Amino acid sequence: MKLAAMVLGCAALAAAASNETILIHNADVYPVTGAPMKGVSVLIQDGKIADIGAKLVPGKGVRVVEAKGLRVYPGMLDSATELGLSEISAVRETVDTGELGEFMPQLKALVAVNPESEHFGVVRVNGITSVMTFPSSGGGGGGRFGGGERQFISGQAALIHTDGWTWEDMEINRSAAMHLIFPAIAGRGGRGGGGNPDFGPDLIPGAAGGSYTQARRTYEQQIAHLSEFFDDARKYQKARAANLPGFVHDLKFEAMLPVLDRKVPMAVSASRASSIHDAIAFAEKQNIKIVILQPRELGKVGEELKAKNIPVILGRVLALPETEDSPYDEAFTLPLEAYKAGVKFAFGTFDNEFVRNLPYQAATAVAFGLPYEEALKAITINPAQIWGAADKLGSVEKGKIADLMVTDGDPLEIQTQVKHLYIHGKEVALTNKQTRLYEKYSSRQ
Amino acid sequence: MSRKLVTGLLLLCAAAAAESPTAVAIVNAKIVRVSGPPIAKGTLVVRNGLIEAVGENVSVPADAWVVAGEGLTVYPGLIDPLSTVGLGSAAPAAATTAGRGGRGAAQATPTQAAPSAAAPTERARGPEDRPATTSWVLAADELQPNDRRIDTVRSAGFTTTATFPNRGIFAGQGSLIDLVSGEKGGDMVVVPSLGQYISLSRGGGFGGGGGGGFPGALMGVIAYIRQIYLDAAHYQLVKDAYAKDPRGMERPAYDRALEGVIASKRILFPANRLVEMDRMLRFAAELKQPVVLYGGREAYRPEAVEVLKKAGAPVLISMRWPEAPRDANPDDVDSMRVLEQREKAPGAPALLGKAGVRFALYTDGLEQPRDIQRAVKKAIDAGLSRDEALRALTLSPAEIYGVADRLGSIDKGKIANLVITKGEIFDDRTTIQMIFVDGKTYTPAADATGGGRGAATNEPGENQ
Amino acid sequence: MTKLLLAALAALAPLCAETIVIQNANVMTVTKGTFKGSVVIKDGKIIEAGEKVTVPEGATKIDASNQYVIPGIIDCHSHIAVDGGVNEGSVSVSSMVNIRDVLNPEDIAIYRALAGGVTTANILHGSANPIGGCTLPIKLRWGKDAEGLVFEGATPGIKFALGENPKRAGNPQGGRGAGTAVQARYPATRMGVEDVIREAFNEAKAYKAEWDAYDAKVARGEHGLIPPRVDLKLQALKEVLEGKRFVHAHCYRSDEILMLLRVADDYGFKIRTLQHVLEGYKVANEIAAHGAGASTFSDWWSYKVEAFDAIPYNTALMAKRGIIVSVNSDDAELMRHLNTEAAKAMKYGGLTENEALALVTINPAKQLGIENRVGSIETGKDADLVIYDKPPLSDYAKVQKVLIDGKVYFDRDNEVSGRAAKQAEKQKLIDKEKQSQPGRGGRGGRGGQGGQAQ
Repeated sequence: MKLAAMVLGCAALAAAASNETILIHNADVYPVTGAPMKGVSVLIQDGKIADIGAKLVPGKGVRVVEAKGLRVYPGMLDSATELGLSEISAVRETVDTGELGEFMPQLKALVAVNPESEHFGVVRVNGITSVMTFPSSGGGGGGRFGGGERQFISGQAALIHTDGWTWEDMEINRSAAMHLIFPAIAGRGGRGGGGNPDFGPDLIPGAAGGSYTQARRTYEQQIAHLSEFFDDARKYQKARAANLPGFVHDLKFEAMLPVLDRKVPMAVSASRASSIHDAIAFAEKQNIKIVILQPRELGKVGEELKAKNIPVILGRVLALPETEDSPYDEAFTLPLEAYKAGVKFAFGTFDNEFVRNLPYQAATAVAFGLPYEEALKAITINPAQIWGAADKLGSVEKGKIADLMVTDGDPLEIQTQVKHLYIHGKEVALTNKQTRLYEKYSSRQ
Repeated sequence: MSRKLVTGLLLLCAAAAAESPTAVAIVNAKIVRVSGPPIAKGTLVVRNGLIEAVGENVSVPADAWVVAGEGLTVYPGLIDPLSTVGLGSAAPAAATTAGRGGRGAAQATPTQAAPSAAAPTERARGPEDRPATTSWVLAADELQPNDRRIDTVRSAGFTTTATFPNRGIFAGQGSLIDLVSGEKGGDMVVVPSLGQYISLSRGGGFGGGGGGGFPGALMGVIAYIRQIYLDAAHYQLVKDAYAKDPRGMERPAYDRALEGVIASKRILFPANRLVEMDRMLRFAAELKQPVVLYGGREAYRPEAVEVLKKAGAPVLISMRWPEAPRDANPDDVDSMRVLEQREKAPGAPALLGKAGVRFALYTDGLEQPRDIQRAVKKAIDAGLSRDEALRALTLSPAEIYGVADRLGSIDKGKIANLVITKGEIFDDRTTIQMIFVDGKTYTPAADATGGGRGAATNEPGENQ
Repeated sequence: MTKLLLAALAALAPLCAETIVIQNANVMTVTKGTFKGSVVIKDGKIIEAGEKVTVPEGATKIDASNQYVIPGIIDCHSHIAVDGGVNEGSVSVSSMVNIRDVLNPEDIAIYRALAGGVTTANILHGSANPIGGCTLPIKLRWGKDAEGLVFEGATPGIKFALGENPKRAGNPQGGRGAGTAVQARYPATRMGVEDVIREAFNEAKAYKAEWDAYDAKVARGEHGLIPPRVDLKLQALKEVLEGKRFVHAHCYRSDEILMLLRVADDYGFKIRTLQHVLEGYKVANEIAAHGAGASTFSDWWSYKVEAFDAIPYNTALMAKRGIIVSVNSDDAELMRHLNTEAAKAMKYGGLTENEALALVTINPAKQLGIENRVGSIETGKDADLVIYDKPPLSDYAKVQKVLIDGKVYFDRDNEVSGRAAKQAEKQKLIDKEKQSQPGRGGRGGRGGQGGQAQ
């Protein structure tokens, strides 16, 4: 009997299209873009946040969710993952990031997203409602497990919801950014660690293998090679505009057009201050918008980033320092450094396994000085703005998509539980492979 | 004055080429004895390869060739306490101060004379396969008198080397040799067995060899060494019991690896970092083996001095002082640890001397006279007195190997190994005029005079 | 460097004093409740802990108002402080090697772990072989030499590994079956892993019998005996059979966990801890019945196939079945926040705050057999303590001070305030070097581009 009810209940939830109207009643709402509001209700209708107010009255057929003592936050956004594209990182057959090829702007991460990936269920439980998912491989040549030449442009990263029947369903923006792995020279020493190197720039062996002079030369050659590709793209752009007979469409250059038009930003992986500086110069020269991914140090380049309004996506805060002599809390204080420099930033986990811990990365930054509000913004409204979706996501405001998490406390605290999750206005079950295994084995005698 | 000298030397050498003079007397020279205060103006008589007499008022024998020593200084011939000179002509000594990550460890071209034949190419499946072990190999048996390095290092003032095979974990036993040129390697041997050279990697050097059989990690190497000594002790027990009364006992197997280990009266262990020195000294004590450490890069640290003093073990300090890499990324800064090493390593000898720790310097593969002189000068500039520097390359190595009764200083009765310079030894513009080895005279090689070459010919490399 | 060291030592000097009182703190003892009060330390031991204590004459006072004191964190699975490789993977059974031989007390990871509240760590051999090398727990006494790190009196251990990792060398091409060009090392399957372990213990049993016979003869007063040859590999396994060496077994899948428990039963020894044991929740009954401890990750999963069924509720589920569970790091970064890793068991599985704290204090102490010395704040135990500025199970908390044996080994205030001086000292060396090598960067080399160093 209970089982039938459960099944029916789940079916009801599953069947609930985003045209269900829900009233979250009497909660403390934390909009992020405004002051918290105590004891108010949130009306979800047609997939959107229809209204927020103290005295909302549910109409007929509106499902009321009692939320006294609970809090409503915008669902969190992880700015760098491989969700849907990678299941078991050690097994190539389950991994679809890291295609071969030097310049592959035409590749779209979105079409390879597996909506049934177990990872989605796992990250939803912690309140992550949307993510950027990237097509790129780690260091080395294209081809995540090696075997290709060095890849510069990996393809288009997609902004997706963490729930949906198909990738079309999940899509928010199929081309939210174009990923560029900027050339880099390897540093000597440096433990790094803690972070996943998969998104990192391909490191030209510096002092380790050849000489610095040689490495520098290769670095400059690579930047030149990259510039050539952009020049070719512009030539194509011009030819296309002229539209003379005999003009042939080229998929790669077609994909570059929105970047050249500054409609799609280039997400640039660059970790050292000198590479970031060179990446900024390159972007200026090419007149494109950029976002810096996973800087490991800011230093002087922080001023430059602020002056040019270039945002950054910070990688794992819980990471080891870069060198033996670096202060032990070097990575913990990087967000504070960015904040002090006036650089806009968001957090990304740069893998799949730890996406659910996104808020705890933010909490560590707070422990080491970052103001709490900034940390919360960095996983909600900031990424929404950076990825061009601020009109839809990132805060609890009327008119935005109803991506909401209802918690029993501060979402940055580990002990907090997400009680309800809404994606595109639909309540999503907080079960996943792991909760199912837990239940199964709890019941073993 | 100098023309007379040159003529005299040439004549003497001509004579030497023909046949050895019965006696040679160097008169009116400054004689730096090392074992006592220097003689400002004295006479030294060499006969039958030995120092017959030395002093201020020594009479010159009637049959002696006389060498005018005005303006010259006579020193004891230098002793290199760890070398591969004499073993194979083309193989450079594997630099014992290998680069980080084992990069430098196995770089040396493997054209060593004998040991390679015995080095197994199969994967070892455990200690019982005796990986990288040629402990029975005796340098004295493998000497190649036509090794052109003999002439090169002799031209730098070396008359004696402690030559060790150095490939593998138990590389073999070293021999003390005098650098005489001749037909037979055996003629060079002063002491056939000095002890066992042990390294911490299958390829020789400081470790970092990987891939392939046992042992793959440092702890594997140490476990292997420990097992060998356990086996050797057991082997000896069985041998002794059998020798006492063989009847009724199964005859024991012959194990040449263990024989080689048992025959070694001391062991040489590598140690550069303080942690390594501590580790290897403790290990040697556990194995109950007299030990000499080689490397010594962090010997400048007070804790290192402490640890060496407590163990009473001598240390051979490499003259390849760590240097900054030439072509480095300006964005990168070395760690404090590495910066300190570079700054302080040359000061280690002076600190050890002050603390009363027995030490000597070794060339660690440096061959060119200029490079050697520069390296010693660096230690002098960092606080080592000239006397101490000289001692670190003469009497100290002799004491460490227990041959101070016949080598290492200018004393009556000792072997006539001498180096005669114009100028203070180890100074930039000093030139070596003549070398005596076992009483035979040599001139420095034409292209290897001290003051000749301007640039150091040795790439310092990354010595982190 | 020496000057700085002396200055730092001078700053620490009062805190090296023999008697210390940590006052006005929220003291979480783990075994004797939580209270607001003080902890008194003398000669490296806790001599009193309570709401009201007697403050000894001349004691150095540490004011910990609004701060929290917990027992030093114990990481049951770590590979820091090891020189020259953590795996002797060349052979299937490498029990002859010993981590103790290669401890590196100057590994900066030790200091960084201290800054994360860890005072004791179980340093293990890697997971490349079914039977790996000998292991030991250490205290993170930063500044002492290798022997000074050893946790004196602790029972030594040995590492076993099951599942994908020890198989890897048997499948060098990553495909099915043994590789051709590269020599494969047995075993290539989980079946072979069991075989390797059984074979090794078979040999060990024979070796033990040989030695027992010899020892008996000696005891009987026989003379002129030659002892059997000491075989380091089998010696370690003999110690396992005799209960003198703890087995710490890396494992993932339920089938291999069960396999190992049964092998141990057959040979008459106990598995002391199952490490990682990500599917431990599936065979919790069997683990509890055997009496093995479980040391696991809080929420790692999906990085390998055998980790795909890992659930963050593993810890709580096993704990509820009566297994002594600890949360470990196996990682130099993760070990810096084991407090929050433990906290995750409150979120996933509903452990209480104290139960969660136990996961990184008294539980790993029990697993390592050192609970008489560490793991809780009780009179008579070692003064291994961590002071946090916020509740220790909150991810907003920072470690302020760490004491081991009553000596302060980490002090955040000193560390932060000392940075400028350290940097200045380093800059001096850098400048000095630049001066003495002005042409650096363009000298010689290929195609000699003159001096473009700066």
